[in-house]
Amino acid sequence: MAPLLDVRRLGISFPGAAGSIRAVDDVTWQLEAGRTLGIVGESGSGKSLTGLALLRLLPAAAEVDDASRIFYRGQDLLTLPEDRMRALRGGALAIVFQEPMACLHPLLPVGRQVGEAVRRHAARPDIRVHTQVEGLFAEVGLPEPDRIGRRYPHELSGGQQQRVMLAMALAGNPEVLVADEPTTALDVTVQAQILTLLRELQEHRGLAMVFISHDLAVVSSMAHDVLVMRRGRMVEDGPMQQVLTRPRSQYAQVLIAARRRLHESETDTGHGDAAPEPILHLDGLTVDYAGRGLRTAKVRAVDGVSLTLAGGRTMGLVGESGSGKSTIGKAVVGLVRPSGGDIRLLGRSLAADRWRQPRAFRRHCQIVLQNPYGSLNPRLTVADALMEPFVTLALRPAEGPWARMVAGLEEVGLDGDTLSRYPHQLSGGQRQRVCIARALIPEPTLLICDEIVSALDVHVQFQVLDLLKRLQKSRRLSLLFIGHDLEVIRFIADDIAVMHQGRIVERAGTKQVLEEPQHPYSRSLISAIPRLAAA
Amino acid sequence: MTTVLTVLWHLTRAATLIAGITILVFLLVRVVPGDVVDVLAIEGGLTDAQAEALRANLGLTVSWFDQFRAWCIGVLQGDFGESLRFRVPAADLLWHAIPVTLRLAAASLLLGFVLAVSVSLLATLRPQSVFVSLVDALNIWSISVPTFCAGLVGILVFSLWLGWLPVLGNFLVPVIILGVDAAGQIVKPLHEEMKELGTAAYVRTARAKGLHPLRIVIVHVLPAAAPVLLAMTGLIAASFIGGALTMEVLFGLPGVGSLAFNAINGRDYPLIQAVVLFLAVSVILINFATDLAHRLIDPRPER
Amino acid sequence: MATSSEPVDDPAVRTGDTGSDRIRRGGRGMDTIRRLPATLLFSLVVLAVFLAAVALGSVLIPQDPFEQDLLNRNVPPSLEHLAGTDNFGRDVLARLLYGAKLTLMVGLGGVVSALVFGAVLGLTALAVGQWLSVPVYGLIDFIRALPDVLLALILIVALGPAISSVMIALGIAFAPFFAYVARAAWMREMAADYITVARTFGAGRLRILYRHALPNIIGAVITLVAVILPRCIVTESVLSFLGLGVSPDTPTWGRMIADGTPLFERAPHAVLIPVLALSTLTLALALLGNHLRARVDPLRADERRRKTDR
Repeated sequence: MAPLLDVRRLGISFPGAAGSIRAVDDVTWQLEAGRTLGIVGESGSGKSLTGLALLRLLPAAAEVDDASRIFYRGQDLLTLPEDRMRALRGGALAIVFQEPMACLHPLLPVGRQVGEAVRRHAARPDIRVHTQVEGLFAEVGLPEPDRIGRRYPHELSGGQQQRVMLAMALAGNPEVLVADEPTTALDVTVQAQILTLLRELQEHRGLAMVFISHDLAVVSSMAHDVLVMRRGRMVEDGPMQQVLTRPRSQYAQVLIAARRRLHESETDTGHGDAAPEPILHLDGLTVDYAGRGLRTAKVRAVDGVSLTLAGGRTMGLVGESGSGKSTIGKAVVGLVRPSGGDIRLLGRSLAADRWRQPRAFRRHCQIVLQNPYGSLNPRLTVADALMEPFVTLALRPAEGPWARMVAGLEEVGLDGDTLSRYPHQLSGGQRQRVCIARALIPEPTLLICDEIVSALDVHVQFQVLDLLKRLQKSRRLSLLFIGHDLEVIRFIADDIAVMHQGRIVERAGTKQVLEEPQHPYSRSLISAIPRLAAA
Repeated sequence: MTTVLTVLWHLTRAATLIAGITILVFLLVRVVPGDVVDVLAIEGGLTDAQAEALRANLGLTVSWFDQFRAWCIGVLQGDFGESLRFRVPAADLLWHAIPVTLRLAAASLLLGFVLAVSVSLLATLRPQSVFVSLVDALNIWSISVPTFCAGLVGILVFSLWLGWLPVLGNFLVPVIILGVDAAGQIVKPLHEEMKELGTAAYVRTARAKGLHPLRIVIVHVLPAAAPVLLAMTGLIAASFIGGALTMEVLFGLPGVGSLAFNAINGRDYPLIQAVVLFLAVSVILINFATDLAHRLIDPRPER
Repeated sequence: MATSSEPVDDPAVRTGDTGSDRIRRGGRGMDTIRRLPATLLFSLVVLAVFLAAVALGSVLIPQDPFEQDLLNRNVPPSLEHLAGTDNFGRDVLARLLYGAKLTLMVGLGGVVSALVFGAVLGLTALAVGQWLSVPVYGLIDFIRALPDVLLALILIVALGPAISSVMIALGIAFAPFFAYVARAAWMREMAADYITVARTFGAGRLRILYRHALPNIIGAVITLVAVILPRCIVTESVLSFLGLGVSPDTPTWGRMIADGTPLFERAPHAVLIPVLALSTLTLALALLGNHLRARVDPLRADERRRKTDR
């Protein structure tokens, strides 16, 4: 029997003035009805373009090779006239994307947006559009399916938005569903719900699915077969279990090993040192964000949090988006002004100073932010960026700032030549190393890491975390590591504090929280972590 | 509660704006060397004594503050003062000028709006077509050809050489010139916005539904570009209310622009103030209207 | 060290490299000129001719722009008077060349004062703090609420007819454009993570302004200069046309058009030639401005694409 989808020698390039960029190169795969193919790769691997090519939704600048073929039920989609392709798009071939908030039209009620798809493909002309939309909303598990259609995307949660996107994809009664990182922007508990829904839908409707993700663990829970891509090429393909247990390519081995090492790392919960001095102590810390103007009420981001971080230890602060975890980091470095409680840093009360940190004191606590692309000024060289703390904190190292900068870069695994580079000449991992080096220049006692590996590819994540662990040991740093990825936290943290809606709901040693969570919220969070299917 | 506060806040802002502009203009015109009596003296050959008497008669000898207070009290009672030159109520002059300007402004704006929207729609729909060049051509035209130059050439060609139209009192030529000018100002930012929105994720979603490109552009892209369209149209509407000046002067249309021009040249204080007050209120009404339209289109709370 | 050999397979890195390639190849003389788009070439040629006219005007044309020849009034273009004469028998070409300098001077003066009133004042106010930026931007809203020609008109009447007052009037009328662009750019900069990091190092507002924000804002402001300059030149000509620009004996192009208008029928060349000159100059400047903006835009689009692709 011929496969439902048959992709042969797919090649996509972006022609440019300075030569063509090869984004997808010689990719071939088949998909049978009712099966799921997972495509895994890091950013720039061409996995999303492969998905978009199936529906001919590639960006206008992209060019598909003449030799490429995508057969769906025997007809080549790449040579199909546009109007016939339009009939398939959203009909037999449907797609959901990541970031549902951006994918839904902000000015139209969601019911109208789904209704548009229903009307376009008229799968059941005998039933009223309105009724069909209601049925779809019920099928994807949206509350009040009869009324939710009148609401606008901004009135729905991220999970509900993605359900609306799914309803829209199902409107044309598809045979193939392309899911392009459908859970990437969502919180981990919501991700688990959406993945469950996708599995149910597939089973119930007999969908063939192409599931694209950067996260091998998520793909392993969804797909029968897997395709690993790197820099536009297929480096590995085969049945999921076979790839996980006996990966042939070195790259797949690295990916799997990185994930497993994160997972299996031993966390030594006690350093055995004499009870270290508390470096940071939060005492009933409360932070409110004022509403803009006269109209909106203020929002309590952090609600009476008390926490102690001992010297030389790493505290992992875990929570989903909006839990207030990042706000705590910002309050400690003085970026937001708390409205109540106290922060004691190195025994000094910040509330007593009316939250104004004296300049000389600022050096003790530094922060590294999530996005290495935004954290470096694009118009300044690495040397300029590293010079900043010398100037503003009036540091005068004996060996001179230049020698100190070179030493700082070498400490994070970069060489002195990097100083003359601009940020756009560096990779994401290199940029984050520069940011860490910059934060360490004033020789802080406490380093706050706010989601510092979330924007990085998996195997780079691991390298940066490894570096951080070494630095912490060699410098006796105290780390406040803020993150949402429990696998990452498990790797780095001695203790974990779980935050939910501005409060800390559980705080204990890493092992204990992960293996015997006490609070119901921690339990749901931990059970939602995607894991590599058992080897 | 919050809506009441919002309304109050907007009213306060509007009132401050009107008051600020009025005071500013009141002071500015009085800083100017020479007053209406000087102008009249040159035109009518008054003696010094006559001029002084006239000044006292017109209430120009009292302090600025008293003049301002008297004027404000008058305005609150609906009296905008009397034109110093023409000796008729300023409100009457304004009342006769407003319809002329409104007709000119509304017709030009309508032409500009329709032209800009249709050209950028077509240019978005057919990115390789001549319409994209038309967007640039209109825009470049509006920047590089001042309306009064186009007006002069228009008069030369249509009236003097072809003899088709009377030079004065003509309506069609200024409307076309102003309309094309407005279209040129609106079309470029609108097209750029629509082009950019064409790459938005939700437009990709619309394509993924298999919708026809025409439907995508009209239902999905154009409403999303409405803020830009509204902002530009509002700005141009405001500038037309007072700024169709050169067209009015050139084509001899007795509108608000001509009135303001003559009042400024003649140091006719009450008339200048009346015109400026009218402009300030119009601008605020236009801003209010665009704001309202924006809220109707966009259900999201203000960021 | 194993970690330092992390592969650079980032799209940013690739575009970075191709960017420098393009710059390197752009450096070859004639090749560069042939590669320029026709519109840009046109505007550069026009501007070169214009600047040459400003520099060499009095050398090239023997006639005195002020010398009246009442026997040869309103003469159409001829060999003796290449662009004809005006109502006082003055050579139009000589006046055009003389006026070029004045037109440019007033236009540039207007843009520079708009830049100072708008961008410099606005940014300083923003950097100093809310207690200054709120009233400053309140004032700018006032100015914006009045149509620019009318505002300039009132200001010139108030300041008296002189070149300097036209410049100031243009400056104030166009200041809001700079102020709003400066504020938008400032807001965008303040939201950037690298500014947040600089603040944790204790960098003050003024240091953030000149060290971090300014280099990123300056591109937007320079582009705006190119966009506003033709508008200043046009507005000056409108003011002169209305009889309220520079004083009557300084022949800016707008003044020449105004002087010729009453005798339009008898001597159309005395109006059409300056109209043509004015439109060609503003066209060239507008094309240049568009090109500058387009050079900024693809970069932004590139970044946006990179974000959605990830």
